[in-house]
Amino acid sequence: MKHSRMIAAAACAGLLLAASSASAEVVGDLERGKAVAAEVCVACHGADGNSPVPMFPKLAGQHADYALKQLQEFASARRQSDIMKPIVEGLSARDMADAAVFFASQQPSPGQVDDPSMLETGRRVFNEGNPDQGVPACAGCHGQNGVGNARYPRLAGQHPTYVLDQMQQFADGRRTNDKRLMQTIASRLGETETRAVAEYIASLEASK
Amino acid sequence: MKSALSAMFVLATACSTALAQPDAAPRAPGIESSGYVWNQPDPDKDAALAHRPDIEQGKIAYEICQGCHQSDGSGRADAIYPSLAGQHASVLIKQMMDVRAGRRDNPKMHPFVGEWVVSVEEVANIAAYLNQLPISLDNGKGSGNRLERGRELYENDCASCHGKNGEGNATEFYPLVAHQHYAYLYKEAVMIRDGERRNANPKMVIFIRDYSNEDLKAVSDYMSRLTLPAGTRQP
Ligand code: HEC
Ligand code: HEC
Repeated sequence: MKHSRMIAAAACAGLLLAASSASAEVVGDLERGKAVAAEVCVACHGADGNSPVPMFPKLAGQHADYALKQLQEFASARRQSDIMKPIVEGLSARDMADAAVFFASQQPSPGQVDDPSMLETGRRVFNEGNPDQGVPACAGCHGQNGVGNARYPRLAGQHPTYVLDQMQQFADGRRTNDKRLMQTIASRLGETETRAVAEYIASLEASK
Repeated sequence: MKSALSAMFVLATACSTALAQPDAAPRAPGIESSGYVWNQPDPDKDAALAHRPDIEQGKIAYEICQGCHQSDGSGRADAIYPSLAGQHASVLIKQMMDVRAGRRDNPKMHPFVGEWVVSVEEVANIAAYLNQLPISLDNGKGSGNRLERGRELYENDCASCHGKNGEGNATEFYPLVAHQHYAYLYKEAVMIRDGERRNANPKMVIFIRDYSNEDLKAVSDYMSRLTLPAGTRQP
């Protein structure tokens, strides 16, 4: 099962690599993107975008439109990050698009759940939100399986540590490139529910 | 003196807006203020009503709503999220714009429908998308205990606007109430009677001003069970 999925993934990646790939809007060159990733992104995000470090996001399978928007906003400081800012300053617009398209083509690895006892609560928050607190279901925008789309990021299989850090940044107003949507949600969601939903996100099927 | 004060007021509001929590909703005069005119012209509302809607774009823009109102627009039976599927586009546009302007209080929803999230055109597109969704028929109902009383009240006092079968009236901005969740209808009816739904229609308030809670329950139960005859779904 796992084996055949890996073969399928490899076959897909091969197919995708054969031609330059375009997502909904972003057009990029996979070969160049792979080179940018290997040179600039690998240390934190992994060569295939499956970051080995819980603090740094997985980018494998992330929608190119979303990833490119984040890169552009790191550059313009609409999204603040002391780590990413100097890195994106070294990238051309073409590098960004190519890297985004390359990571989008990669197969995400399964997420790591730290506390399975929280999954039930996390599933409820993800699928129903918290109506009393005015929290919409995450699934509404990010999709039932957390796969997202060009407008809303893929979450499935993401590191809980990274998800929690971003929720914290939304809640305390350090991250503000979200039309205030996630700021509202993160400030309405309780601590336990936030932790639980981060665990649940990690548990979501890793397939693209 | 007066102008200095008003300048200070402007400054203070500007600061408080800038510092406001993301979910601080605006407040505009409503039925509690003298000179209130229901469904007054409003540039954004009028622009949305005049926009030629794109249903496909509406489906995309609706993503942001479905975390609460559900992907089929059916809401929740427990009075928290109303059903929106099949509602008249004019009614949907008016309600969204009233929330944006602060004429209808909905602090839970406001951050998700603000003009920084949803454009005027998208409001119209969403309304058109929702209008053509099939009405969900398994809405929450009441106890069923006093339906005869509910029917009598409805036909005397409500049908003239909400329609014999609860179909409402798109041109008049009267909501479709058939297949709406009972608990939501009852909650809104109480709020309209008590002046808490600030964008309410004053003529309707006259009709229900003296209703007891029991009668509001009976009529809401009756409304939630109304069904639209085939072919009349989109008047
Ligand atoms: C955080 C949850 C939430 C989100 C997200 C949300 N809503 Fe709502 N909405 C509500 C609640 C709660 C009510 C009922 C308010 C009340 O009880 O008066 C409501 C009521 C409404 C109504 C009034 C219905 C009626 O029958 O009068 C409309 C129209 C509406 N919403 C449209 C939308 C649209 C369109 C979006 C997306 C752009 C949206 N909502 C997003 C929570 C939400
Ligand atoms: C004069 C016309 C009129 C009459 C008569 C009337 N209504 Fe209404 N009703 C309205 C309008 C208009 C609205 C929407 C108000 C707004 O714009 O927010 C409304 C809204 C409502 C709502 C909220 C619906 C929603 O989707 O949010 C309920 C519940 C309701 N009416 C119940 C009743 C009942 C019960 C009666 C009879 C006892 C009644 N109405 C009689 C015009 C009327």
